[in-house]
Amino acid sequence: MRRLPRRLSVRKLLGARAVRPRREPHVHLLSTLLRPRRLAEAHCDGPCGIYDPASARIAAEAVLSMAQKIVALGDADDPATNNTRSRFTAIKEEQAELAKRELNILWTDYFNPERTANHPDLWQTFWNAAKLCSRNKTELSVEAGEELLSTIEEIHNVFWATKGRDDVPFYLAV
Amino acid sequence: MLRLAGRFTRYEIAGESMLPTLRPGDWVIVDRRAWADHEPREGEIVLARDPRKPDRALVKRIRACEPAGDLWLLGDNARRSTDSRTLGAFPPEALLGRVRWRYWPPPGAAFQALDERGTAAEAP
Repeated sequence: MRRLPRRLSVRKLLGARAVRPRREPHVHLLSTLLRPRRLAEAHCDGPCGIYDPASARIAAEAVLSMAQKIVALGDADDPATNNTRSRFTAIKEEQAELAKRELNILWTDYFNPERTANHPDLWQTFWNAAKLCSRNKTELSVEAGEELLSTIEEIHNVFWATKGRDDVPFYLAV
Repeated sequence: MLRLAGRFTRYEIAGESMLPTLRPGDWVIVDRRAWADHEPREGEIVLARDPRKPDRALVKRIRACEPAGDLWLLGDNARRSTDSRTLGAFPPEALLGRVRWRYWPPPGAAFQALDERGTAAEAP
């Protein structure tokens, strides 16, 4: 169980007395004695219950697009091109990280044993997708971007199947 | 007296999913042996282990008891709650205790000045 930090501190008590002489020592003594040390979380994942693999898909599309643009830059070595290449690379990594995070949210917050019961291999799909996010960060590979996107399409299909919906197409922004 | 040791534990509420019943920052007393004499009942506010993160205690309300004994737990503030709607039913073993009393803040504006959370405590 998660523990809250203990608030009992002589320094704090003395400090409180110095700053607020009339009332504070009692307040601190009271709160020190009564304060719970455990946390009960009236928890909300927020935005509550709203999940959609689309957010991972958009990030993955950005990754793929950046990889394509970096390739299109060729191997020119002038300062302007180097600058552009650096920017594209930074965006590619940032979006790959974002895709990984969005996938993790789906896997840990939306999916649960009941929802994966009919899809026993889904963990592997997610695991592949996460690995592909990393590969897209470390490598410059259009193919890795395409693979990530198609893995997210698989997740899209399972996701909407668990909601009993067959009316949500997988579409691309480009 | 010895039999009471370990029965009641203080908890601080975090999060908004139990509003308006429990507010973030409220201090409550949890009875860990609440179900020694009865089965968990609909309407009870309980502390339950988060199935995704076992060291996290969630506070929710029992909304339904399934025939198999599993419990459907929901936050009072449905719009700001992650509960059985996404986590599924909770097995009875997931229950850590029943939230029995709120002991802080005490009711009444006069006492709010004592509350560290309140702005009144900052007044000169």
